[in-house]
Amino acid sequence: MNTYHDAQLDALGDATRRAIVQRLLRGPVSVGKLAEEFPVSRPAISQHLRVLKQASLVTDEVSGTRRVYHINPEGFESLRSYFDQFWSIALEAFQQKVEEQ
Amino acid sequence: METVQETIGRSASEAAAPPPVRKSVRVRASAARAFKVFTEGIDTWWPKTHHIGNSPMTKAMIEGWVGGRAYSEPDVTQCSEVEVRFTPATDGTTLVELEHRNFERQGAGGASMRNQVDQPGGWGGLMELFRAEAEKEG
Repeated sequence: MNTYHDAQLDALGDATRRAIVQRLLRGPVSVGKLAEEFPVSRPAISQHLRVLKQASLVTDEVSGTRRVYHINPEGFESLRSYFDQFWSIALEAFQQKVEEQ
Repeated sequence: METVQETIGRSASEAAAPPPVRKSVRVRASAARAFKVFTEGIDTWWPKTHHIGNSPMTKAMIEGWVGGRAYSEPDVTQCSEVEVRFTPATDGTTLVELEHRNFERQGAGGASMRNQVDQPGGWGGLMELFRAEAEKEG
């Protein structure tokens, strides 16, 4: 556990941000399109995207006049590593407990 | 389960979600004991840094596992999912296999759990869907 993963988990601690992530898993999308699809103001969408970007969960690029966001695979792989490590620790603790006499 | 399967199914145009985390451990105990410790005894082994105590999550886990059925909230598509299987071997040991899917839907985890246990969409609502198959000894 480190601040990087803290930021990732905190970012995903918000239901709207999780929904945005789910949307981006279906493909890249612009801020404007997200604002249309979500019952949230555009500034609020931008703020959520900023948090997700700081957590390395999404990246953005300028496409013409639009800013398009997409999932950052490296960030997700890092998050996966965290859970991988977490379950190793948890199962080891479980094994010790269950084998106690 | 159908809903979840449909949701995680992806077409070629979709970004790839990370693959599930899979872990297994072989324990020197019967499947019945392993299952009991895993569920009822969760507070005795769950890493303290990831404490859940008497949180809604604990209740969700126990209810899901002991009932041997899926425990679900109205919107299971917004949840991560953990499946645990207990398979006894002839030598008296038990293989415990765990799969954590859709963790990008995780409401919280790790240090964040401390603050988000009781928040809507937080750790309390984290693993709303649990499924386990425990093979009882004859």
